[in-house]
Amino acid sequence: MRFEAKRCGVQFSPPAIVLIYQHKDTNKVRKRIIPVRNFSKCSDYSTAAERLKNHPRHRDYLEGVSQSQLERLHIILRDHMQGFSLQHSLASFQLDPDQDLNKLDDDELARKKGQMDRLFERNQRCKDDPDFVYDLEMDFHTKEKCSWDEESDDGF
Amino acid sequence: MADDAGGIPELDQKKYDADEQVKIICLGDSAVGKSKLMERFLMDEYRPQQLSTYALTLYKHTATVGNKTVAVDFWDTAGQERFKSMHPSYYHKAHACIMVFDVQRKITYKNLANWYKELRDYRPEIPCCVVANKIDADLKVTQRSFSFGKKQGLPFYFVSAADGTNVVKMFREMIKRAVDYKKNPSDFMDEVMQELENFDLEKKEDNSDADEDGLKAQSPELV
Repeated sequence: MRFEAKRCGVQFSPPAIVLIYQHKDTNKVRKRIIPVRNFSKCSDYSTAAERLKNHPRHRDYLEGVSQSQLERLHIILRDHMQGFSLQHSLASFQLDPDQDLNKLDDDELARKKGQMDRLFERNQRCKDDPDFVYDLEMDFHTKEKCSWDEESDDGF
Repeated sequence: MADDAGGIPELDQKKYDADEQVKIICLGDSAVGKSKLMERFLMDEYRPQQLSTYALTLYKHTATVGNKTVAVDFWDTAGQERFKSMHPSYYHKAHACIMVFDVQRKITYKNLANWYKELRDYRPEIPCCVVANKIDADLKVTQRSFSFGKKQGLPFYFVSAADGTNVVKMFREMIKRAVDYKKNPSDFMDEVMQELENFDLEKKEDNSDADEDGLKAQSPELV
């Protein structure tokens, strides 16, 4: 990776993805503004994110930015085009642990998954990590009953 | 034909009758991490085959069990769980089932009872396990014992698709159990299906003979 992504955000006008990155050779930190073209309030955020991630001119810079983050930024951009506020977009990413996600449509579910992906990416061990172990096994010894099993009647 | 119960023309489920083929299905609520688990286990082999018409994703894997090579098809839901129940073809000929919940969301644990019930309606005997995913989010959950499935003797795994804890172990054990089950199917329905298929084949052979006879019988008249 020649470029280390530091931060990645969105700019509304004109629509663009903004990337702060460090050039590995020179250690210089720079800003790259990637215009988001052919993207409207009806566009598919997932396709758009994928297109950007594979774009010949930008893909090297975006290597360290996950597909799901790019999707999230496109969702925010599209919400803005549809007239929703940034607060609205951010709130829609929030997870309520008691919510039944089976009941959400594709778009709503993608927002929640995006939030979950952040945690996933934070804790993820990739195969390029020096301490990566493919078959990582761990024994756990349970000490207490789980409160989720109380008030159970349905075959628990 | 007996396999019409499969209902998915692109997928010939007959192949699962062959000794070296097993089908393992994943069950669980939306966003519990089923696909992420597959991705972690398969790594470079990870090539999902999307069948969006059926809200289904297939993953192919080649495993070695004992000294035999086994082709494993993993079936994942791709959003079908939203319909609260899966199409019967999802369960058809499955040899093992991996049930997943998210340790951060109680509702996904509570819903295991529904998934398990549906599974057993179609596949009363196949090996099944309970997988508690996302333990990396809060390792303290691994001190708690989750009793779902204990009564039924289902193995339980604490796993993390993110850091990889116990993912490979779980998949390998389930593949082995699927293969063992296949060698020794205890599902009555399997035997019935097998019988039906044999019956079907015999009938077909009879028919084709009959057709030939019919042709022979007819041809003189045509000439």
